[in-house]
This record gives sequence, structure tokens and C-alpha cells, in this order.
Amino acid sequence: MTTLRNVAIVGFAQLPTVARDLHRTSTEMLYPVVRQALAECGVERDAIDYQIAGSVDYMDGRPFGFVAALDAMGSWPPRQDLHLEMDAAFCAYYAWLRMQAGDCDTALVVGHGKTSEGDPNRVFNLQLDPYYQAVIGLDPTSTAALQASAYMARTGATDRDLAVVAARNRTAGARNPQNQVREAVNTEDLLRTPWAVEPLRAGYLPPIGESATCMILAAQGKAEKLCDHPIWIHGVDHRAELQTLGARDLSRSASARLAGEKACAMAGLRNASDVDVAELHAVTPVEELILCEALGLSPKGSRPAINPSGGTLCGNPIMSTGLIRMGEVFRQLSGRADGGAGARRGLAHAAQGHCLQQNIVWILGSERRWA
Amino acid sequence: MKRPVAVVGVGQTHHTSRRSDVNIAGLVREAVDRALADAGLEYKDIEAVIVGKAPDMLEGVMQPEQFLIGALGAHMKPMLRVHTAGSVGASTALTGVTHVASGLYDRVLTIAFEKQSEGNVMWVTSPNMPFTAPLVAGAGGYFAPYCRAYIKRTGCPPHIGPITAVNARANAGRNEYAHLREPVTLEDVMNSPVLWDPIRYLETCPSSDGAIALVIASEEQAKRGPRKPAWVKSGYSYAEAMWVPGRDQVSPLAGRVCAKAVYGKAGITNPWKEIHTAEIYVPFAWFEAMWLENLGFCDEGEGWKIIDRGEQKFGAHLPINPSGGVLCTNPIGASGMLRLGEAALQVMGRAGAHQVEGAKTALGHAYGGGAQYFAMWIVSSEL
Repeated sequence: MTTLRNVAIVGFAQLPTVARDLHRTSTEMLYPVVRQALAECGVERDAIDYQIAGSVDYMDGRPFGFVAALDAMGSWPPRQDLHLEMDAAFCAYYAWLRMQAGDCDTALVVGHGKTSEGDPNRVFNLQLDPYYQAVIGLDPTSTAALQASAYMARTGATDRDLAVVAARNRTAGARNPQNQVREAVNTEDLLRTPWAVEPLRAGYLPPIGESATCMILAAQGKAEKLCDHPIWIHGVDHRAELQTLGARDLSRSASARLAGEKACAMAGLRNASDVDVAELHAVTPVEELILCEALGLSPKGSRPAINPSGGTLCGNPIMSTGLIRMGEVFRQLSGRADGGAGARRGLAHAAQGHCLQQNIVWILGSERRWA
Repeated sequence: MKRPVAVVGVGQTHHTSRRSDVNIAGLVREAVDRALADAGLEYKDIEAVIVGKAPDMLEGVMQPEQFLIGALGAHMKPMLRVHTAGSVGASTALTGVTHVASGLYDRVLTIAFEKQSEGNVMWVTSPNMPFTAPLVAGAGGYFAPYCRAYIKRTGCPPHIGPITAVNARANAGRNEYAHLREPVTLEDVMNSPVLWDPIRYLETCPSSDGAIALVIASEEQAKRGPRKPAWVKSGYSYAEAMWVPGRDQVSPLAGRVCAKAVYGKAGITNPWKEIHTAEIYVPFAWFEAMWLENLGFCDEGEGWKIIDRGEQKFGAHLPINPSGGVLCTNPIGASGMLRLGEAALQVMGRAGAHQVEGAKTALGHAYGGGAQYFAMWIVSSEL
């Protein structure tokens, strides 16, 4: 295998997730977090070699929605730049890859979008293939419910099991000032919420939310200058699988499993469960259980701690949700989060598409990976 | 780039107004099958897939790469989706270059497509940005004022757009994959209606269905392959902000900076002398003169004179767009990768009837957004 460079997260900023920011465009939401992330590193934009943005036109309800982000990212003079129509966690991967290619030493990664411009349940129908799946009106809550049914049928998991997972996330999330949902609820409360689409209850799903995020990555040599506690990338891998719901076992995530194995191998970890903390991009409690199984994590969520931030259930700003998982692990490992003391290694996961179609797994650590 | 990178396979569809015989998956599959066959590889050999296309609203499918994973052979592989407006095909190919340059991948498939017959291009290219009056006039409506500004600034005479269009069609006649291959005369162009002053109907790109795929590989793989590869000497993508006072959209700074970067990395000091052919993104005829200046092939104000002297024609000093270019073929998302792929075919010596004799070094170029996104590479026949 090729020699890899040590690359670290050196800064992260996000707007607290809200249902709808009535007063700002996505560009205006992005600008303050770019400034904050740069300020955390004590540098101006000229100090950063590369920039990459993650957003999706359909959620903004217009073509070329990402173009306006250039201004918020400080694209003058012109910058080396890319935009992915993906969650910003995948943008971080490409920035990391450019550093591996020796093409840059520092990168600015942003996620943005005005989720409230449309109804994600309607919009994400259009992500399904237009010939067979989209035309029957499937929305992401319905596909998640099919996935939940498949998982519950295979494993015998009950409605209560789902409520326990959701309640743990909600309880942890009440302490996180970045979250949209900050009201702690218990299992019994959640079991009384109505069906969204059976077997998923309204209390198991995140509300519509929007935010803006910015992460700064830097290679060894630069990272130490930009941050007192850089958090190093030990391993990463991402995998996609077929979309066709009938062509895959919805009760499992083969792509998350493979990505997890490859990321752990790169990190020199025997098991993903050797990390202290994991943040999973699971939009339902069932996805969290499927991911735990795929990654080899205990679904109890205590060792390692799973979603101490409250996870996606407490805030799902589309196109930033995955990057926030990385940001939360960064906060945990660098001592910036409540209750994160002593955590030295973490796993951050992000997903895209219906029923965990595409997954990326990061292993992060407070020490450099390679000599 | 940490190590050498090569293009080892090129595959494209025949481009046309409406491919009603295939769905989107069938269209991309045609290009991918051809690229893999060209590289002497199979789907199982590909380690990562990178997809590029322009706005999803062109087809009405959100992130269509998700449903295309089967057709692309990307199941259980890393897959990324790039979108940088019109430059996307080029920036997608460059994303593939980074994958191989990193040392983590040896064989990567990049694919770009558009099936514009599925939607309405005028609507999609008329975005309604906050605080901006909606033009509702498509890309032509947006870019026409900059063509007028170029004419005013340089004294470019009125026949330059028309002769550029005539030459593009003559070139496309030699390219079996091009969409518009029928020759047009100067009179035809002059008599075609003005759509957006000064841009006439025959000075405008068509709306096409089409796809192109490239297989990008390491040196070791390239040397094992069945054909002579194109070596990627340099590749960069730059973008500039929208709201900058004094920003020049006739000759954008991002284009000049990007060109300087690709020439510098490739060791080119005099592009006019050292580059043998260039495939540049010309959706409206007047942009050919504008980009010749922006790309540093001549001084400011001299671009139209190159065209007036015919030095950019096939067989002349620096053949520009020997494939016929965007003016004759425009599946938007694919157009940038077509430029880079055609540049690669030229240095491989496999461009067929539109092969430029002795082409050893070629430029591939694309732009997008409000002339904000630029992506380019220099390819060479030599490592």
C-alpha cells in the first residue's frame, strides 16, 4: 500500500440547526461559519489551499444552488475549488485524497442548503429511479419503514427496542446546544407518538432542519500550527450499493460493513468497537441498529458511546448532517464537547440515499496515525 | 501529483437531439462499455467511479448517479458525484486524476452525461438567484452581454462569430460522434435569426443527449494496456466568486489563473508554440476568440485576429476544437469531459478523421457557472 500522509481536522464550525432560518439565504448562513472556522485556526482565507462544497440543487429548489456558496467561501482571488452533489462528509474525503496526492496541504470543506425550501419527503422521492420506484410515490419515510420492517422481521426487534434507541439519542441530544430538538424524552413518551409510516413513529424521526457547516483539514506540518489539538484521520473508506430496494437486503448494510472494514484496516484497528465514541448518520433508530451490526458496534450505545451529540434524530440539516458527525467526533476527541473527556479514538459515519445506499466511515484519533 | 497518471480508455456515445431508444442508464452504459473495451478492462477491474453531470433538473432526477450505480458497475465501490455547472465534465475527469495520483487507486472510471431531451434546458439554465432579476433567457441570455462587451472592447468585426460557427461545423463533419455535422455557409449563419444579440441561432450550441467515459490509470496499468495512453501532465480547477466589484466576465481571472497553473505544472512557457491542439468550451461562437485570449494563446484583443487569419482551423497552426466542439455537440454535463477526452484522443493519435497531425501536447478546457468555474488539463503523448 502507498504511503499515506497524516491529515487532521483542525477546525469545525456549524450554525445551530433550526427548522427554518427565515432571515438568511444559504450563502448568508454559510458565511459566518466559514469565518468562525478560520478564526478558530487563527488564519485568513488566503492561508487555505483548496476548497470544496457539498450541497444538492433539488433541496434548494433551483439549479446551480451551489454557485452562490463561492462568495461565502471567500473565492476571491479565484480558488482551487470543487463542488460535490453530496453530503459534505464526502467532500472531506476528496479534500483528504487531494492531500494524499500531494496537491494541497490545507482545505476548507463546507456543507450548505436550505432544507426548508421544500418538503424533503416529497423531494427525496425524485432521487429514486424514475422508471419503477419514483413513479409509485415512494418517499424516504416509506422506504425507511420498509427497511425497518425488514430489520424487525429478521431480528425480532420490537417497537420498544426502537423507542429505546431513539430515547437514548434524545436524552443525549438535550445537552447539545447545536441541536434543533433539545427536549429529553423517555421511551414511554416516544411509544405514545403516532405512526409516521408504520413501524416508524413520528418520535423516531428528525424534523426538517437547516444549518451550514465548515471544516478545515490540514496535513501534518500545517495542522499543528493551525490547532492546539488537531484530530487525526486514521482511516477512511466509502462504498455505494444498488439503489433498487428489491435488489438488496434492506435489513443489512453491506456497503457500510465494507467501508467500516476498509477504514479500520487503514487505521490499524482490529474492530471498530475499539473506538471510544461513534457518531452515526442514522435517520431512524433502525438505521442505527443496522449500522451497529454492520460496523460491529454494541447497539446499547455505551461502549463505545454512540451519538453522544444526540445524533441525526436531534437535527438533520441535509448535506451537513454527515459532516456534523465528523465535527462531533472532533469535538469529543479534542475536549470541546461536554462529557467527552478521555476519548482518544472515534468513528464518524455518514450516509446518502434511501436506506443507507452509500456510506462513508472515518476513524479519527487524538494521536497521529503514521510516523 | 504524487505519481504519473494516464488516460487509458475513452468511450463516447453518438450525440443527438433525442436518444429515445435508451433510458438514462442505457445511455451512460454505452459510453462506459466503450471506454472499458478501449482500455482492455472489465467492470471488475475498476476501483472507483466518479460521475459528473450538470443540474439534475435537466432530467428531473435528483442525484441520478444513485439509481445509475448498477449501470455504472459501481456496486460496492467508492462513488462520487461532481457538479461544477458547465465545467463539470472536466472537473470530474480531474477528480479521477486525483484518485490515481494519490496512490490509493490504480484504475478509475469517470463518466459524464446529459440526456437533455428529458427536460427543458432553457428553464434549467435560467436560475433564479436571490437578489437577482431572473433573465428567463437561458445561458445565451446570460452570456450575450459579455460577447457584446468583447466586441466593443477589442473591435472584433461582426463576421468573427459567423466564421467561427462555419469552421466548427466543418470540423464536426470529420467527427463521427458529433451531433451537428451538416456543413453551413457564412450566408447560412448570417441569415439565421439573432437569438440574443449578437448571438445568432447558428452561432449557438445544440441541446444534445450524450455521454462520455474515461478510464484513468496509474503508470504501471497504462504500460500494460493495449494502446498508447495519454499522459496527464497537469490538471487544475479554479472558481471565482460572483459578487466581486470589477470582476471581468469577458476574461475571467479564474480562467487566467487556471491556465497559468496548468501551463506551469506542465512546463509550458509559450502555449501558442508548445500546444499542438486545444479543445476549448465554446457554447456560443464568440467565446472562441474570448477564450484564445483568456487562455494566453495571444495578447488581449488579438483573439479574433487568430480566427480572422484562420490559424485555428484544422490543418493550420493551432487547430481549435477539431472535434467540432460544444457548438456542434452539447450534452452539458458531458461537454467538459468531451473536451478533455478529445484532447486525450489527439495525443494518443486516435482521433480518426479529425486527428491533428503531430499532436503531442494538447489542452482540454471547460468553464461553467457565470464564467466562474474553470477546469483544464494538459495531456501529452510522452510520459
